[in-house]
Amino acid sequence: MEHSTFYLGMIPLFPLLGAVVIGLLHVFTCKRWQVPQLLYGLLACVGPAMSFFLAMRVFLELRALPVEARFFSHKAFTWFSVGDLHLDMGFLADPLSSLMLLFVTFIGTLIHVYSIGYMDGDKSYGKFFAYMNLFLGSMLILVLGDSPVVMFVGWEGVGLCSYLLISYYSEDRGNVLAGNKAFIVNRIGDLGFVLGMGFLFWAIGSHGFDFLSLKANAHLMNESTILIVCLLLFVGATGKSAQIPLYVWLPDAMAGPTPVSALIHAATMVTAGVYMVARFSFLYVEVAAAGMVVAWIGILTALLAAVFGMFQDDIKKILAYSTVSQLGYMFAGVGVTAYSAGIFHVFTHAFFKALLFLGAGAVIYVLHHEQNIWKMGGLKKKMPITYWTMLIGALALAGCPPFAGFFSKDEILYSALANGHVFIWLIGVLVAAMTAYYTFRMIFVVFHGNPRDQHAYDHATEAPAVMTVPLIILAVGALFAGFYNLPAIFGGEQMISHWLAPSVADHHAQHSFFLEFIAIATSIAAFAFGIWVAYKRFGKGAEEPVFAGFARFAYHKFYVDELYNALFVQPYKTVGVAISEEVEPHMTDAPVTSVSRLYMRVGSLVKVFQSGYVRIYAIYMILGLGIMSLILSQSLN
Amino acid sequence: MIHDYLVLSVILFCLGMVGVFSRRNFFTVFMSVELMLNAANLAFIAFARLQQNMDGHILALLVMAVAAAEAALALAVVILLHKQTGKLDTNVFSLLKG
Amino acid sequence: MLVDLLFTCFAVCSVLGAVGLIIFRHPMNGAMSFLVTLISLAGLYALLSAKLLFALQLIVYAGAIMSLIVFIIMFLNIQPEELPAETTKVIYLVGGAVAVTPIAFFLIKVVNRLPDMPVSFAGAGFGGVKEVGLIFFTEWLVPFEIVSILLLVALVGAVVLAGKREKNK
Repeated sequence: MEHSTFYLGMIPLFPLLGAVVIGLLHVFTCKRWQVPQLLYGLLACVGPAMSFFLAMRVFLELRALPVEARFFSHKAFTWFSVGDLHLDMGFLADPLSSLMLLFVTFIGTLIHVYSIGYMDGDKSYGKFFAYMNLFLGSMLILVLGDSPVVMFVGWEGVGLCSYLLISYYSEDRGNVLAGNKAFIVNRIGDLGFVLGMGFLFWAIGSHGFDFLSLKANAHLMNESTILIVCLLLFVGATGKSAQIPLYVWLPDAMAGPTPVSALIHAATMVTAGVYMVARFSFLYVEVAAAGMVVAWIGILTALLAAVFGMFQDDIKKILAYSTVSQLGYMFAGVGVTAYSAGIFHVFTHAFFKALLFLGAGAVIYVLHHEQNIWKMGGLKKKMPITYWTMLIGALALAGCPPFAGFFSKDEILYSALANGHVFIWLIGVLVAAMTAYYTFRMIFVVFHGNPRDQHAYDHATEAPAVMTVPLIILAVGALFAGFYNLPAIFGGEQMISHWLAPSVADHHAQHSFFLEFIAIATSIAAFAFGIWVAYKRFGKGAEEPVFAGFARFAYHKFYVDELYNALFVQPYKTVGVAISEEVEPHMTDAPVTSVSRLYMRVGSLVKVFQSGYVRIYAIYMILGLGIMSLILSQSLN
Repeated sequence: MIHDYLVLSVILFCLGMVGVFSRRNFFTVFMSVELMLNAANLAFIAFARLQQNMDGHILALLVMAVAAAEAALALAVVILLHKQTGKLDTNVFSLLKG
Repeated sequence: MLVDLLFTCFAVCSVLGAVGLIIFRHPMNGAMSFLVTLISLAGLYALLSAKLLFALQLIVYAGAIMSLIVFIIMFLNIQPEELPAETTKVIYLVGGAVAVTPIAFFLIKVVNRLPDMPVSFAGAGFGGVKEVGLIFFTEWLVPFEIVSILLLVALVGAVVLAGKREKNK
């Protein structure tokens, strides 16, 4: 079936163009006059909105196709062609990427709108929106890329924007260091991705390197190669999606502006790892061991981050750890070959986590950049819209039926149980209880009880409409997103699972209502238990606790940062210093300098020939010609 | 005999070369260059006669046009140099001295 | 016979003129001497049946270009003391002659390997204005256009260079 695919390339193009226009406008005007903020805001929102409408079109067009032919691609141009390797800048639309497209552009647009309010009065307003648009463009390239290489372009692009935006308040050294940390840790992961890609190319790259050919040729690889490729790619995913052992950057990344945390470090970029694993699901299903590694790393990350999250006092750090924890769930889901469940969780999580971050941003905005929850309290009366929307987000995150998070989380836990991974299921249920606990700890401390800082409380008002409207829209999403994949036990049709079926290689265990019932019951029990404990301790107002023992240990995040510092950073630094102070001056510089001295000596010797008179140079030429003539005369005889 | 013309052309060309690098007067150097161009023209026309082909004439014509352009520019430069230094000595300029 | 005589006469004149150019100290003398060379060359062109080139050599070269040079020499009103004191001129001339000898030797050797033919007047059509013009404006049209642009550029350049006024005065 022939149809125009040109607009597929336009989807990432719009935000990228927006970034260029806003960036140039900012660069050329920031020194002279103030461009109205509204102009920047409008320019910034146009690109994502256009992309969103095009994403809708992609979705509708795909839906019109028969199930087994639900994909089409567009080659924008040939990127490079070396020997047999022929690489196109191609974009692929299939159920998986179209679903990602839809919510990435939808949430991206909302967050751009929200940023107009949140960044109000910032002095480099234009720069912020240029980065945001650039990020969105890169993310769309990542999602749409039709080969691992194009995907990697977007992958690096979002990494770059993440770095730029974490260090956005660059006057503060700590923020710059946080940006550096994120960038460097991501590089480690990217190395894994590149190596995995290299292995993959070495194995079956000669048959074409786009996803469709790779999928068709995956059977040509032997099992150990697939295992290596899967593990290396997963290293890349742990970097981008903040899993053990590379999760350390994400909490620090909260140094950036809150919309950035919402867009990049909660809803979109960090889910790229999950998306990538789902993209390569045709490899992961081949080797059970790779899936098990993914699942265990994921569920352990979920546990660890949940433990940290219970003891944080910075509102954004709590949400950051909950993000790490939820990402762990997603990996557990894709690890137990429930790819559609993992992606479903990505989908719902994007809504409620963006909602929670934006709500937290509204609180921070109203309290003039106060992030410590122990300085808040009682804000329910002052900020009703923020409170109710955040409550919906919190219920969704905690997994309260019928909010979005419940269905997706339950889907993952049920899949783990149904596929026989009982321990993963048990840890998952435990983490679910912890999630409910720390989420409601935050809600109770921030919004209930008595104000702890009376002065800030008196000045608090509801956030402006440009910020609350996106909150309301997202709250509606967090409320209803789950119904798209209502499991059969509730009379649903699992629309998302069916939609994704052509793209991902789900492994379906024998369906069992009994197991599903157990999974749902335990989930609800875990949720209720967590919320009950939180209410007992914080529901009626509580003072800032003094941590001791295990709590103190967890508050300091098990000293993992310090451990990494001592294990990797310091030895590396020592070696670097040794090289720069010992090896360089004595072993490499000395020979180089002496060679340059030699040239100077020789130069001063032959300098006499350079008289500066043009006719002398002409004489040299004539002499050379004369010698040539003599030689040639010989050969003429 | 055509050879005689060609040999004459070689002699004139070599005289021009000697003039270029043994004299220091701008005008003499410049006219020596013109002499070399003329020697080349003579060779072109001699070859044209040898081959019974008039392309050589065209080339000589083009050389003349280029020589005219060169004369206009070079003389303008000479006037400027004379204005600046008051001298006509090529050795005044030795900025390339090492 | 007459042709040979004329050739010898023109050849000797042109060589003498060229020698005079590189020997005379004052550029005015050199220019006059060079004029002799140019006119002799015109005569040689005529002997080679290049009628158009003969005319152009006289009109453009001997007429226009040389008069421009002479005009500038006179315009600058060069006094003998303004000329460079070329005390080592003779050494350079002799040295230059020695350096050039192998080149001349080689070129003459090359010439001797070419086919030769006696010079006689070629057919009526050879080297005439019409014939040369036809070739020029058909086969050589692009070089012609390029040269005309070159002349225009040189014209502008000469005006810009020579017309500069010193601003600091």
